[in-house]
Order: sequence, then C-alpha cells, then structure tokens
Amino acid sequence: MPSPRSSFAALLDKEWRELVSSRAWWTMLLLTGPLVGVCFIRAVETYAELSGLGGSAAGVGEAFSPLVGIWAPTFSAYELVAAFLLPFVVIRVVGGDRQSGALKLEQQQGALSPWARITAKTAVLVAGWLIASLPAAAAMALWLSYGGHVHGPEIAAVALGHVLNAGLTIALAAAMASVAEHPATAAISTLAFTVGTWVLSFAAAVHGGLWERLAGYTPPVMVATFQHGLVRGDIVLAAATLTAAGLAAAAVWMRTGVAVRQRALESLAVVGAASVVLFASSLVRASWDLSRSRYNSFTRADEDALRGIRSPLRLEVHLAPQDPRRYDLERHALSKLRRTLPRLRIEYVSATQVGLFEQTSRDYGEIFYDLGGRRAASRATSAEGVLETIYELAGVTPPAASDEDVYRGEPLASPPNGAALVFYAAWPALASGAAYLSLRRQT
Amino acid sequence: MVQTSETVPGSLRVSGLCKSYGGRPALEDVSFSIHPGEVLGLIGPNGAGKTTLFECLGGVMPADAGVLLRDGHVMGARERQALLFYMPDAIAPWPAQSLGWALDFTLRFFAGRAELRDEVVRSLALGPLLSAPIGTLSKGERKRALLAIGLLTPQPILLVDEPFDGLDLRQSRELAATLRSHAVRGRTLVLSIHQIAEAARLCDRFVLLNSGRVCAEGTLADLEAQAAAPHAAGDLEEVFLALT
Repeated sequence: MPSPRSSFAALLDKEWRELVSSRAWWTMLLLTGPLVGVCFIRAVETYAELSGLGGSAAGVGEAFSPLVGIWAPTFSAYELVAAFLLPFVVIRVVGGDRQSGALKLEQQQGALSPWARITAKTAVLVAGWLIASLPAAAAMALWLSYGGHVHGPEIAAVALGHVLNAGLTIALAAAMASVAEHPATAAISTLAFTVGTWVLSFAAAVHGGLWERLAGYTPPVMVATFQHGLVRGDIVLAAATLTAAGLAAAAVWMRTGVAVRQRALESLAVVGAASVVLFASSLVRASWDLSRSRYNSFTRADEDALRGIRSPLRLEVHLAPQDPRRYDLERHALSKLRRTLPRLRIEYVSATQVGLFEQTSRDYGEIFYDLGGRRAASRATSAEGVLETIYELAGVTPPAASDEDVYRGEPLASPPNGAALVFYAAWPALASGAAYLSLRRQT
Repeated sequence: MVQTSETVPGSLRVSGLCKSYGGRPALEDVSFSIHPGEVLGLIGPNGAGKTTLFECLGGVMPADAGVLLRDGHVMGARERQALLFYMPDAIAPWPAQSLGWALDFTLRFFAGRAELRDEVVRSLALGPLLSAPIGTLSKGERKRALLAIGLLTPQPILLVDEPFDGLDLRQSRELAATLRSHAVRGRTLVLSIHQIAEAARLCDRFVLLNSGRVCAEGTLADLEAQAAAPHAAGDLEEVFLALT
C-alpha cells in the first residue's frame, strides 16, 4: 500500500504541473495585470485630482482614504477575474482529469481519500490565485513610490475578502466540474450561479427583508464589506462553510464508482450540515474594523458611551428599500450601531419598494426608537442624529468631540507615473514569456 | 532482478454482476473466476459489455448488483483497490505531461514497481517517447504508454481493456510476449480482447461474453467440449461462434 504522505506529495506535484500547463491559467495571469492596471491607474488619477492635482481646489481630498480611493477599486479587478476567469482555471484542473481519463486511474489509488485529492487541487489553485495577485502587490509598490502610505491591516482585510471570494469560486466551480460530465456544462452552471447571486443582490435592493439578509452572504456584498476594511466574523465563517461545502460536494462527486443515488444522498447531507453551520454563523456578531479611517466605526468616545447603555434598543425604520435615506442610515449609522450595541433590533417597515407614494403616509420617514421602554421618534438619518436620539433616551451626556479621533485623510496629488508601463507592457510580457516557456514543451 | 514469487493468495470470483444504462441491461448476472497468475481473456464482440464489466470491477463505475469474492468472502472497496488495477482503453491521462514523468508519477503515486521501469520501457519500445507529452502520442504509442503505466502499478491483478487495439502485427506479438513474461512472474492479467486470434495465442483461459452475459468459461479445451462442434477443434474463433 502506498504511503499517503508520498502519494499526496506526488499528487501536489502533478496538480501544480497541470496548472502551469493549462492555457486557462496563463490567460488569467496575462489578463489580470491590465485589469488591475486599468483600475489602479484610474483610481490614482481620480485620487490625485481630488487631492488638488491639476488645479482642483486643494483640501477636497483631505478626508480621502487610500482604502476607499485606491485599494477598493484596484482590488475590484479581482472580482471580475474571480467571476469570469478563475472558474475556467478550476474547471480545467478539476474537470480535466475526467476528460482525459486520469480520474479513472487516480481514483484506483486506495491510500488517498477524495478529500485529499480535492485538497491538493485546492492548494494548487490557491497558489495560482496568489501568483495572480502579484499585480496588486506591484500596485502597492507603485503607490509607495509615489509617496503614498499603505496601512497593512486594511490591505489585509481587502486581501482576505478576495481570497475568500476566490475560495468560494474555486469550491463552486470544483463542485460543478465534479458533478457535470462535460466542462462546458460546468462552466455554464458556474456562471449561472454567479449571475444568480447578482439577481439576489438586485432582489435585495428592491425588496429588502430576507432577500437583503441572504444577499449579505453573496460574493459581491461580502467583498464590498472587506473592501471597506471591515472583517465580519459571520461573513468569514459563512464563506469558509460554503467553501468547505462546495469542496466536499466536489469530493463526493469525484467518486465515479459510487452509485449516483448514494452520492446524491451524501450531497444532501453536506447541504444539511452546511445549512446548520451557516445558521450558527449568522448569529456571530464579532467584527473588526481594520480601516485606518475607522470607516465602519463611531468614534472611540461614542463607542465607549454606547457600550455603557445596557437596555435593549429597538428601532422601527419606516423607509422603503430603494429610498436613498435608508442607504444613508444603514451605511453611516446602523451598520456601526450593530457592531457596538449587542442588544439591538432593527425592523424596516414599508408598504412599497420605492417609497415615492408613501411620502403622504404619516409615519413614512420616521425612525421610532424604543430603549428599554423609553420611546422617541426622529427623521434624522445621519450618524450624529441617530446618536443624539439614543443619548437622549439613555440619559447619557454625549461625549465631547475630540480632534484625535478625526481622520484627516491622506491626500496625494501624484499622477500614476510608470504604472502603464508596469501593467500594460511589463506584466503581459513577463506572463507571455513564462507561458511560452511552459507550454512550448507540449507541442 | 525482478521478484518471481508474486502470486495472488487466493482465487477471485466475480458473482452476479449486473449493470444497466437507463433500463437497458449491459451486464446480466455475470459470474466467472480469476485464478492466480493466469492470463484470462475476456472475449466478446463490440458491445458485449467488456468495458462495462472492467469499469465495474475497477471501481470506476457503480454496478447495480454483484460482488467480488476472494476465497469465498465479499471484498470491500479498499481491499479491491489493493488487489486490482484497471487500465481503460482510449484515454490520454495527463496529456500535457511527458511520458517519462507519467511513469515516474505512477511509481510515486501508486508506490509502483520501480524495479520494472527500465525493463517495461525497453520491452514496449518507449525509450524515444519518454520526453514526449502524452497528448501528442499516436494511438499505438499511447496504447503502449498506457500498458507501461499499468504494468508499473503494484496491484497483483491487472485488468487491461483492449491491449492490442491500435497496435500493428509486430507490436501485437511483442506485446503478447511482454505480457506473458509478466504473467510468468506471477502477475495475473485479465485482458479484454475482441481480436480472437490474439487472445488464443496469449491467454490461458477465456470468458466468452455476449450481449452482457457469460456464454462460457474455461480453457480452450473446456470451451471446445462445451461447443461440441467437431469443426471447431483448436480454433477459438469457431468455438466462439458456436457458443454465442
């Protein structure tokens, strides 16, 4: 019987060779540079303009953060790569074995479980994804060379979001490649799933409620959260659970020698177990704001004051899902409030989706507060307005504003010198050359 | 020096194997024995169910019913994987990798018979092809490459689907000699063959399969007796026609 360790090492080597001999991976690598370049160059130009370059009023960009101004748009290129390029790489690595007949040989090796086989593939795919992340590292080096500052924790948060997103894509595409007989079927199924998450996000924006909760765990919303420097425990756990479930399904369906009915039952068990863990994950409230600007948090003084409030707080918000005030309220006040007050309950009430014809309704636009039986109503949707109402209800003196807590921004009026050369010439040349050397021996 | 003492500890029996595709039976109550160290030929026309039978025995396709018995007890999946290796026909595994790499991978991944590597390469005339990617090999070259991979696996029983398909006359004879040399050293070979003349030259015993059913099993003499056709004496083709 072969030793599992040496077999696994051989398998890792084989998967790596399969990755670097796949045109799909080289194509992804080649396109990632220009995609990241477009996003980075545009972001730096905009950032520079807002920071006063080219005659803009100086000071406009004073509170501008590189996290939101540079890294969120730069890394958004990886959302495109994960949605439209990475699935083909995964399907090539996972489904290629079935197409070539290698799966029939490899699954006769009894020492390694299907789990070990899918783990080897995932490890290699993650390594491939990390190599594709080099253009982002080049963007950071360029930014530093312009005199910009890179705040490690917030970059780590953004990168974590994209790694989790890639993990989800890898798991989904691996499951589809294992289930489907043909790579084309796997590809169309994966893309259909991706489009489905967009539809869910759209439905959430229109209908709110449960749709909104579900959409909170879709890749676009998840990535957006991390791009703002916020690491939410529930999202990390949910993404890890979905990734594990997808990989488990892939491992289950890799075993072509097991009856389809048996595999279907095992898949249902995986779905059931994942659902339980997902539900438990949704109860996790821990989160960490890693942004330098405290983009997702109230000031420290406000947080201390809010933590001193022990009574449960209930908010009834009469705003329709598509009312821009609801977005403002959620983004600037309630999302921060959720992170600070553990005993907070928020209910949205509206009869329509747009709210346009609800304006005549007496309560529309009101936010009703109930703090341990003490009630108040307000129409203010700003963070300051919400906090003021809560402090009044709690009988707490608002903390004095402190200059230390105010993020002054990091304006940088520098054009993206040399970036075009790096992303549009050097990277494609490097990737093309490496691809040529790697693929030459196959022909 | 290659070990010569390898034998299968006990006889194997395939019992009651059934498989259907969407209600259409491909194998119906297939039962036969595999004796240690023999070359067993699975003979049948195209569509007889030979490949389906091998896929089920190799554990890469689920059977609807049936078991594999070793000395009378039912074998589990792990036990079967340790005993049998199935080499399919018409596959091109790891097409971007070189043949030399594929052989080394077989040795490392399956803990294969490293001591046989050079001999297998030489006997199957694969030396000039070692650096060629498998995907670029011709049909006959690929067939020899697959056989080399199969011969290097550690399992005592090797099932090969259509080992002579794609080979010319000279290559077929050389391959038959190679397979025989491995059988002499104790490796049990089960070969699915539709070229009856090749099977007659190489195999010790035969299982005749037609329309998913076993028509007969035994040595050529046993089959002649079952056929009870005087004109079929010593001619496997005539015996096959008489029994199917």
